[in-house]
Amino acid sequence: MPRRLASGNQMVAEGALAAGCRFFAGYPITPASEIYEVMMRELPACGGVALSAPDEISSLCYCVGASLRGLKAMTATSGPGWALMIETLQYALMTETPVVIALVQRLGPSTGGATQGAQGDIGLAAFATSGGYTVPVFSPSTAAECYELAIHAFNWAERLRTPVVLLSDKEVGMTTEVVEQAALNSPPLAQRQPFAGGRPFLTYGIDYPEDVPRFAPVGGDVKVSVTGSAHDLHGRLRKNAPEVVAVLEHLERKIAAHADEMALVRPDLDPGAPYLLLSYGTTARAARQAVAQLRQNGTRSSLLQIQTLFPVPRRELDWALAGVHTVFVAEENLTGQYRAVLAPYLAGKRVLGINKVGSLITPTEIVRTVRAVEA
Amino acid sequence: MGENVYLAPDAQLPYCRGCGHALVVRHLSHALAQLQLPPRSVALTTDIGCVGLADSLFPYLHTVHTTHGRSTAFATGMALAEAVSPAGLKPVVMIGDGGAMIGLLHLVHAAQLNVDVTVLVHNNFLFGMTGGQHSALTPLGFVTATTPEGNVTPPLDLLALLRAAHAGFLARHFATDAKLADCIARAIAYPGFAVVEILELCTAYGTRWNELTGARLKEIVAQEGYALGPLEPQSARPPFHEHYREIIAAQSRPTATPETIEPTLAAALTDQVRVVVAGSAGERVQSSAALFCRAALHAGLYATQKNDNPVTQGTGFSLAEICLSPRPIEYTGMESLDVVIVTSADGWKELQSNGTFARCRAEALLLLDDELEPQPVPGRILRLPLRRTASPNRAALAALAAWLEMSHILPSEAWQAALANLAANRRTEASDALRIGRQLALDPTATRP
Repeated sequence: MPRRLASGNQMVAEGALAAGCRFFAGYPITPASEIYEVMMRELPACGGVALSAPDEISSLCYCVGASLRGLKAMTATSGPGWALMIETLQYALMTETPVVIALVQRLGPSTGGATQGAQGDIGLAAFATSGGYTVPVFSPSTAAECYELAIHAFNWAERLRTPVVLLSDKEVGMTTEVVEQAALNSPPLAQRQPFAGGRPFLTYGIDYPEDVPRFAPVGGDVKVSVTGSAHDLHGRLRKNAPEVVAVLEHLERKIAAHADEMALVRPDLDPGAPYLLLSYGTTARAARQAVAQLRQNGTRSSLLQIQTLFPVPRRELDWALAGVHTVFVAEENLTGQYRAVLAPYLAGKRVLGINKVGSLITPTEIVRTVRAVEA
Repeated sequence: MGENVYLAPDAQLPYCRGCGHALVVRHLSHALAQLQLPPRSVALTTDIGCVGLADSLFPYLHTVHTTHGRSTAFATGMALAEAVSPAGLKPVVMIGDGGAMIGLLHLVHAAQLNVDVTVLVHNNFLFGMTGGQHSALTPLGFVTATTPEGNVTPPLDLLALLRAAHAGFLARHFATDAKLADCIARAIAYPGFAVVEILELCTAYGTRWNELTGARLKEIVAQEGYALGPLEPQSARPPFHEHYREIIAAQSRPTATPETIEPTLAAALTDQVRVVVAGSAGERVQSSAALFCRAALHAGLYATQKNDNPVTQGTGFSLAEICLSPRPIEYTGMESLDVVIVTSADGWKELQSNGTFARCRAEALLLLDDELEPQPVPGRILRLPLRRTASPNRAALAALAAWLEMSHILPSEAWQAALANLAANRRTEASDALRIGRQLALDPTATRP
């Protein structure tokens, strides 16, 4: 089978191009710069616009402006840049503007360690909006997953008119590895649903709470009223109007209604095994190796690699939890950010975190933790 | 096209009595009428503040109400999309003096790019909506909620600054100026970035705390040395989207299929091998490791490579961590090491500080340049004259070739296949490195473990 060597960052860019991305604005930051460089090189050849922004705030604003015109848009950054983008992320969420942010995590807080990996931005990615509205977050663990999940990220951004975060990390983004080119998974492409006429156009018009407003571009034939302020279905600024609350409820319900459909996991389950390892991103690879080692030595255990971090894949979790006694959540942060998110879904199970910062969690460390419980 | 197509005829202007904003919306409406612009070709992009109330006054224009200071950036994104989706859209930004400062970067970059965006800066010398606080454009001596004794910070000459950023069209007028509508029309018609700064009165706060009349406004302008009317035009450039269309046309090509390798050779490897190569920046450590990984692919192996170097890139150590395996590789870290190659003192120092030697297996092979100071480390040590014989730039590749000559993991054809992709001069140099490496491995004078 034809193979190549490629980094996760390279494959994020290729996935974005395959998804139909036609606008990219970026600002340099380790470990995400390669995505920016590839898009600057490749996007004009595909008939799209790629440009250098003067900061991360501008990067995302440019993307949102281009998306309002109907272009599929993406930017790429790491924690320090993401911190600057949060204002505009909220604007994209409130204005229901599709956009993808590739967030390649590095060690924080603050500038932290530019060339050190981490999985410390889970909370920052998922809970960046006032009100705690769900922003879909996809987490790849390999270069091939970077490609596939980039396409999913665009598809869901477009289908649900929402910002989506593609959350990788330095180890996934900057490690070169073998990609089986022919085996790359290319999900069918989705587009935002255009306004087809036949009724008056309302910028935020919905027929039921889970509905997604039909899209009309700024610059097109029907008048569009975009606003990041509390608004009615017309996009008119309103205060204390029931319609405003209905719009806010809709923002969450349109995502929740598709949670099962959005759920992506890579399970390796041994039904009846007492131990379940939960992990994501680069640490899922150590967990996969650890489970193989545990099984070789007679310890029955299961693995659930979670690719859709948000919305939480509850149904898949339930399946994986059947018959499990102890759950281990392995992630490269000290505070167990995703473990805290999962806690309500793990009720009745013993839950242990496997956490570390500064370097990769090793398969041996995971094996040792499980063995300690077994003993 | 009638005037009322733009500003709603029954529009209840939401501004305080005497506020300059009311004059600006009327001037804008006149300007659009003068240009006969189809309403759907205008995107009125408003900032936060009283200026942000204008959206609802223009029922037929596209309106985009944005976040504080960012209006210009969103408008820039909309204008850039013209390169791909041409609709002749003209974004018009309405922003205050407060928004202009917090979003200054966006104004500067829009000017540099020369995006086809018009910005109307409503300069009433303070933040009106939030209670009359001073801004970066408040004149000296001006009393505001936050400068009760009078402002002592000299105000920013926004147009002078944007002129330095190569803005093509700049003008400054009083809101009461009869020529303002005409000026706005010319700004919108201008094919590129245009800014009109409008000096006006905030009747809620500006006139409450300052003796502020039309005459006093003129004195302020004189005091600050502000140019009035259109500034001298700068040499014309095409708007960015037109320039970018040329880039797209010049670069347009079918999507390139990534170059792949079909493994045709066999490797003698049954389990994972983890290798670290460490040397100095600029001595082709990482590119040699990449070439090695390509060779491994030709022999059907899986490979991962991680690079590390100081943030300065061009100085100090350079390091590559390689994992080879006959099966797909899950964990890509260096939990334990089989081979350590060190070609320079920079590399040695880094491996000592990052704990590499503590992670070496007992039987690990340490292939070291023989000029390195001998130090006690675990493993089997082989010292070779890498730098002297192969040259510093070829030392890493020669060392990898020497190791392969001893381990026989890859057939030599794998190297040849990997070399085929290099440019001719690099290929010769790499071939030399490989030949030297093999000879060193066979050289009985090398210091054997």
